[in-house]
Order: sequence, then structure tokens, then C-alpha cells
Amino acid sequence: MPPRYPLKAKGYKELTNVINKIKDNSMQWRYFKQKIFFGAVRISALIIVLTLGGIVFHIIFNGIGVISWDFITKYPTDSMTKGGIMPAIIGTLYLTVGAISVGLPLGIVSAIYLTEYARQGKIVRIIKVGINCLAGVPSVVFGLFGLGLFVVFLKFGSSILAGSLTLGFLILPTIIGAAEEALKSVPQTFREASLALGVSKWQTIFRIVLPNALPGIMTGSILGIGRAAGETAPIMFTAAAYFTSKLPGSIFDEVMALPYHIYVLATAGTNIEQTRPIQFGTALVLVALVLGIDLIAIVIRSYMRKQKRW
Amino acid sequence: MGVNAIINVNDVNFYYGNFKALTDIKMDFKKNLVTALIGPSGCGKSTLLRLLNRMNDLIDGTKVEGEILFAGQNIYAPDVDPVEIRKKIGMVFQKPNPFPKTIYNNISYGPKLMWNLSKSDIDDLVEQSLKQAVLWDEVKDILNKSAMNLSGGQQQRLCIARALAMKPDVLLMDEPTSALDPISTAKIEELIDDLKKNYTIIIVTHNMQQAARISDETAFFYIGKLIEYNKTGKIFTKPDVQHTEDYITGRFG
Ligand SMILES: Nc1ncnc2c1ncn2[C@@H]1O[C@H](COP(=O)(O)OP(=O)(O)OP(=O)(O)O)[C@@H](O)[C@H]1O
Ligand SMILES: [Mg+2]
Repeated sequence: MPPRYPLKAKGYKELTNVINKIKDNSMQWRYFKQKIFFGAVRISALIIVLTLGGIVFHIIFNGIGVISWDFITKYPTDSMTKGGIMPAIIGTLYLTVGAISVGLPLGIVSAIYLTEYARQGKIVRIIKVGINCLAGVPSVVFGLFGLGLFVVFLKFGSSILAGSLTLGFLILPTIIGAAEEALKSVPQTFREASLALGVSKWQTIFRIVLPNALPGIMTGSILGIGRAAGETAPIMFTAAAYFTSKLPGSIFDEVMALPYHIYVLATAGTNIEQTRPIQFGTALVLVALVLGIDLIAIVIRSYMRKQKRW
Repeated sequence: MGVNAIINVNDVNFYYGNFKALTDIKMDFKKNLVTALIGPSGCGKSTLLRLLNRMNDLIDGTKVEGEILFAGQNIYAPDVDPVEIRKKIGMVFQKPNPFPKTIYNNISYGPKLMWNLSKSDIDDLVEQSLKQAVLWDEVKDILNKSAMNLSGGQQQRLCIARALAMKPDVLLMDEPTSALDPISTAKIEELIDDLKKNYTIIIVTHNMQQAARISDETAFFYIGKLIEYNKTGKIFTKPDVQHTEDYITGRFG
């Protein structure tokens, strides 16, 4: 703490001197605080980067050995102790695209309702709390929910459809949150300008608000994409197969998936140690895939940003 | 009710929640005239203007009492769609607010959505509207550039052109030149003078010279009340109410 000065000066001059002294001191104190603060920020940033770098390095170091053209284009062989992981790559791609196809439209529509239509009040607040709670629900619960609703009750069976829907719901809170932020950041003056022309509310949202919010929605949804691709628990009961000998023919087929493949190799069976390299190789492919999808999203987003600017 | 009145405001009270922003407003706006709304900050000029095309509907918790007739029809009647009203009563805002689109698309946005026009009709409409707003010569070669790159004065004329392209009967302007330099302001004043042949214009302004220069009638408001409403010449030379004179001459406490 900066030293305190008792303000018992009497005349103008004394008071000014006292205040100037406090100013000097508090400046040094502020400078000191600033140094500590920036130091702390730097250290935390370093820890994050090192952790991330460590994980990636660990995966690359252990997994790069098995990566080959065959590894990513061939089926597994010899009870999955050899061969490739192509069906799991394809399966994860299907599930991710499926989850986005479910989560993005649903999330955008919900966010539009919450920010543009619903009267801001108690009900909206309750809904928002509900959505936040949903974001905190463990993913295995989503898996069980999907099992109960899609697999059993709606009789989709363990399938791409059931898995996509489950993952779609899993990433819904992320997408709603991102879309809400993005919609709110569109200046109110745009809405007013459009409405004042006699354009309907719906068309204003569709033609002005949404296009300007899309880059922001994409940014937030990237997080959802990564989560959809990487989760194991939600697809365990709803979509993932231990092994398939051919690629899915329809959305009602089971698929292999990268995270589930890692899980299976690392926990089940008798060849856990023997398949370590394959496990790491699969993890490496998964990470690369997620980063690849992110990269595509970022490119699309920056392209849209370039067009829309205010 | 005057014969040539296009809008009649009949005993209107307006509330933001519990706050009464307008009290017992009764006035007629005459066709093809420029009417200026003047008064100190916070007296309710913008509120009245936004009542005329139902833009206050966008604010939660507002309440309107009384009626506002446009061409004889109460625009606050339950069966009236505000969207239809806004097509006939256009608005230009204090701050220029072009869409982040090209100049061409700013103008064509409304017409394209509402009317099934051919490409060449839209082209003509864009050109005519920009000419009306005295912007055409400056932008005719950059119609496909973003409107956001225009200067403030150009943006405001673009917004006027955008409103004109909807072929409204009435144009509401809320301090349209307050963000502009004197040259742009002069251009827009000229434009208003030209537009009144075909449109009824209601303009809010804090600039007394501007009100005196461009308007035919002037209404003076004070704390939500209409104090005096008369021919501009009369208001600025021999107002009936002392309060009005004090405000106009700047002797206002
Ligand atoms: N959205 C709102 N919610 C609550 N009160 C408002 C709102 N908008 C305006 N008011 C209040 O209504 C009164 C009139 O405001 P209005 O904007 O119409 O004034 P004005 O005459 O246009 O002032 P100015 O010349 O500064 O633009 C003010 O007291 C203002 O605080
Ligand atoms: Mg105002």
C-alpha cells in the first residue's frame, strides 16, 4: 500500500505540497503495481503456451512414427493392432459436420429469439440460466440423454443421426452464447435504419442483422466444433462403433470415431501397450483435424469480415 | 383540422414507463411544407418525431394516448401495421447510418425487398434518388464501393437518398446536419428546399438560423409541451409567447 499522509495542512501552499507528495508516491506505487501485474500476465501466458506446446509436442513425438499415407487411408487390421484409422477419420468428420448442422441453425434461431424477439425480462433470464446450466452438464449425461431419446425412444439406433443430434445439443449452449454476443454487437442503428424504411422486423433480422453477425457467430462456434470432434462420452452410446469393416451407407449406420478409437485402444483389449503408438497417432490425427476445421472456419470468417465492415 | 394537413396530432400524451415525455400535444402538419421542431435539449422533439412513424414502438414500456392521423387514418389504431406506416413516412437520423453495404445496395435494399422491379428499374431508381439527394455526381463511379468509406456529409445525403427511394409522402429528419460541416449542411438545406415540392418535411433542429432559413412553419417545445406553433416568419420576428422569444434570441435560462 502507498503510505498515507494525514491531510492536516492549513494554507493553500501546504495543501498543494501534501497533494503533490501523494501524487509522487502514488505514481511510484502505480508503476510498481503495473510491473507486478504485467509480470503475472506474462507468466500465466507462458504457462498456457508451455502447457499447450507440451501436449502437442508429446502427441507429435509419440504419434508421428505411425503416421503414413496408409495410416490415414486404410482400415485397421489384426484386431486393430495394425493398419490404418481411415473409418474413424471419416466417422468423426461425419459426426462433426452432423453436429454443426444440428447445433448451428438451432443455436442461431434460439439466439435470435432471445436477443431480437423475446421481451427482455424474467423469462428470458430464466432461459439464459438454463442454457448456462446446460453448458455445465457433464458430457456423459448428454450421452445418456441421447441414448434414451434418439437411440431408444425415437429408434434411430446407434447411428450417425443419433450421435450428431446428441453432439449438436452438447455444443448448443456454446453456439447460442456466441450467436447472442454476435447479434448484440450489431449496432442498433442498423436495425433502426432498416425498420424506418418500412422493412419488416423479420426481413431486417434476416437481411441486415444476421449477415453482420455471422463472422462473430463463426468465431464462437469454432469452440463448439472442436468439442464436437473431440468428445468421447456422448457418442459412446449413440453413434460409435468398436470396429466397422465398411464405411457408413446412410445416417442410420454406426461409425467409428477418432476419440472413441483412442478410448477403445487405450482401455479395452489385451494389446494396450502394443497399440500405444497407434493411440498417439490417432490423437495426432484428431488434433490436426480439429485445427484444420478451425482453420477453415477462420478463413471463411476473415473473408466475411473483409466484406462486412462498420 | 386544416384542409391541407397531412398529419394531425390530437391530444397526444406519451410515456417512457412512468415518465411523461409529451403532454397534450395538438398540432397539424401541413402538406408540402417544411415544419421545424425547436426547443431545448430533452423537451421531446425526437420523441414526437419518432411517434409519427411509430419508431417508438421499438422501445419497451412506452405508452401513447390520443391519436395521430395520417391522411385521415389513425396510425395507432390496433389494426394498423407500423411497417406500412414507415413505408409512407420515411426518416433520416441525426447520425448518418448507412448499411455496411455498397452505395448501390444501400439505396436498392428497401425497394428490392418490397417491390418486384426489374434490374433496369432499380438502376434508374438508384440514379434518380442519388440525383435528388445531390450525391450522384460524387458517387456515380463508385456505386459498388462500400458506403462506409464516404464522408459524413456524403453518408447523410446517401441516407436521404435511401429514404427517398422508398417514395415516402413525409420525410422526418432528426437534426440531420448536426454532425456535418457547414458546406455539407448548406447542401442538405438546399436539398430540403428542393424536396418540399414533392414531400412534406418535418425537421428537428437546434440551429435557429437553419430553422429560419428552411422552414415554413416552426413549433417550439418546452418540457414535453407545445408552447407555440406558427408561421416561421412570425415566430422569428414577433412570437406571441415571451418564452419563445427568449429561446430564439438565446436569452434562455
Ligand atoms: N428511451 C427512452 N427511455 C426513457 N426516457 C427517454 C427515452 N428517450 C428519451 N427519453 C426522455 O424523454 C425526454 C425527451 O427526450 P427527447 O429525446 O425526445 O428530447 P429531444 O427534444 O429530442 O432532445 P435533444 O434535443 O437533446 O435531442 C427526455 O427527458 C429524455 O430523457
Ligand atoms: Mg433529439
